[in-house]
Amino acid sequence: MQATFTSFYFLCFYTCILLIYYLIPKKTQWVFLLLASAAYYLLTGNGILILYPLAGCAAAYIGSRVIAGTEDAGRRRRALAGTTAVLLGILVVLKYVNFAVNTVNGLAGLFGVSAGKGEVLRGLHLMAPLGVSFYTLSILGYVIDVYNKIAEPQKNFFKLVLYGMYFPAVLSGPVLRYREDGEQFFRPHVFDYRQVTFGLQRMVWGFFKTLVISERMNLVVNTVYDDYMSYAGIYVWIATVCFAFQLYTNFSGCMDIVLGMSQTFGLKLPENFEAPFLSKNISEYWRRWHISLGVWMKEYVFYPLLRTQAFSKLGKRLRGRFGKKRGKQITTFSAMFLLWFTVGIWHGGDWKFVIGSGLLHWAYIVCGELLEPLFGKLMEKCRINPKSRRVDFFRILRTFFLVNIGFVFFRAESVSAAVHMLKAACVWNLGGLAGGPVFALGLDAIEAVIAAVSLFVLLAVSLMQRKGSVRERIEKKRLPVRFALWYALLFYTILLGYYGPEYSAAEFIYQGF
Amino acid sequence: MTREEVYGTLNEVFRDVFDDASIEVEDSTTSEDIEDWDSLEHINLIAAVEQEFGMKFSMGQVVTMKNVGEMVDIILSQIAD
Repeated sequence: MQATFTSFYFLCFYTCILLIYYLIPKKTQWVFLLLASAAYYLLTGNGILILYPLAGCAAAYIGSRVIAGTEDAGRRRRALAGTTAVLLGILVVLKYVNFAVNTVNGLAGLFGVSAGKGEVLRGLHLMAPLGVSFYTLSILGYVIDVYNKIAEPQKNFFKLVLYGMYFPAVLSGPVLRYREDGEQFFRPHVFDYRQVTFGLQRMVWGFFKTLVISERMNLVVNTVYDDYMSYAGIYVWIATVCFAFQLYTNFSGCMDIVLGMSQTFGLKLPENFEAPFLSKNISEYWRRWHISLGVWMKEYVFYPLLRTQAFSKLGKRLRGRFGKKRGKQITTFSAMFLLWFTVGIWHGGDWKFVIGSGLLHWAYIVCGELLEPLFGKLMEKCRINPKSRRVDFFRILRTFFLVNIGFVFFRAESVSAAVHMLKAACVWNLGGLAGGPVFALGLDAIEAVIAAVSLFVLLAVSLMQRKGSVRERIEKKRLPVRFALWYALLFYTILLGYYGPEYSAAEFIYQGF
Repeated sequence: MTREEVYGTLNEVFRDVFDDASIEVEDSTTSEDIEDWDSLEHINLIAAVEQEFGMKFSMGQVVTMKNVGEMVDIILSQIAD
């Protein structure tokens, strides 16, 4: 069975699970979801790799029991450190050892040092289990919350396994927080027509985003990025903007399917997106893009880091040297550097992720903070109202542009390829578009119109969502209007989506992490 | 220290951290009510409150505190010990 939610076999699997879920005794629903999750994991990847998430859950279970079972601060700390070391150790060995090896070899090569086959160190060839970056964060967060006494330790190991391996969320998130999302998995859920319909509607919206928009964008992106030496100027920008929408519709569409599917089971998972491309600055963008990861990083990396003795001492020293305001700012920027490095490397063991999804955004935020007073004065001098709609529109465009530069690194095959593309993007060749070569990038005129109309629908819905739930508004319409809207979306997706046995749909991008 | 006295001192801390002399906090005040109270400033605020009252919030309290009322409850419970 294919892991992707858009495959026919997965939809058959899900339909069977949903039907049985509401037919069996309510007390056994969580056991059934656990079995379904195990079956999904076994069927979609290399079966033996299920031992990794099971080992992670076992470590979290033992660790949390030890922590909860004692008031001895030293023992609690050691149990937390041990569990964290096991969980992060697995993640690091599976995903980041080769990154470190490649970096060392690359540096050694730069300085002309080599051994053996030109390599100083040899990499490992281990298969990483599906979703390791997501479930590790969810279960590690649970252990830390038990340590901080804000989550009740789970007494039943199998319940913890369901929380860690719940099949819709195990591969792409959202990253869960046990203290808020955990207990609902084990409660009985009565069939609720409204919740199930709402869930299914949200899934259709997710399929629309993924199959109609993301897959079309993918064609343009691949044409340019797979042959990046042949493209420059406006073509690089077109492909990069297409990638921004590909990634957004792919990941947020996947989240719509995950959250919709969960809603049909009576479960409410945290939202991961909130119209991120309408953000007015980079900080806001990260509060709207991959929200559950941002919240996790804030609670379990950034705050604890700033509250360590090392940072407290650093803060005091910097405040003494640079004054209160500047000293505080430099301390925060230092902690943010480590935070953004972590966010970047979480996306993958490659410098292109560390830069594109991490340090570049850190640099944006630092520059934004430092230049804010200057921009304020400049606007005052030019008599521009900083709260006007025009300025907000400019801010949205500027943020989108900056985010796109990060996406060049994210999508390019390497850092050097990204740098080459960014240089090539500075070429002015707008006039070349007049002959229509843009339609040779993978989408002909009709396909491009379909993509544009679909993106317009997406934008319109995103703007409407800012004023409240669109589904609830549709629910209040008369029956024929309601049916017409949902069936129009369903058939639009069925007719214009890219899927089926002959078509190899691109996988959900974040499932690779 | 009474609740009112805690609020008196807390207002000064908020005004200092957010550089806004007009801030007046109450039980129901949340980060939504103060423009600059984002995740970055939250941790600076916590450190300033700790320093002012000579107490320490646990990490659990830092991330679960919902409003200023809860913050004052914690401060009162700690300085009473």
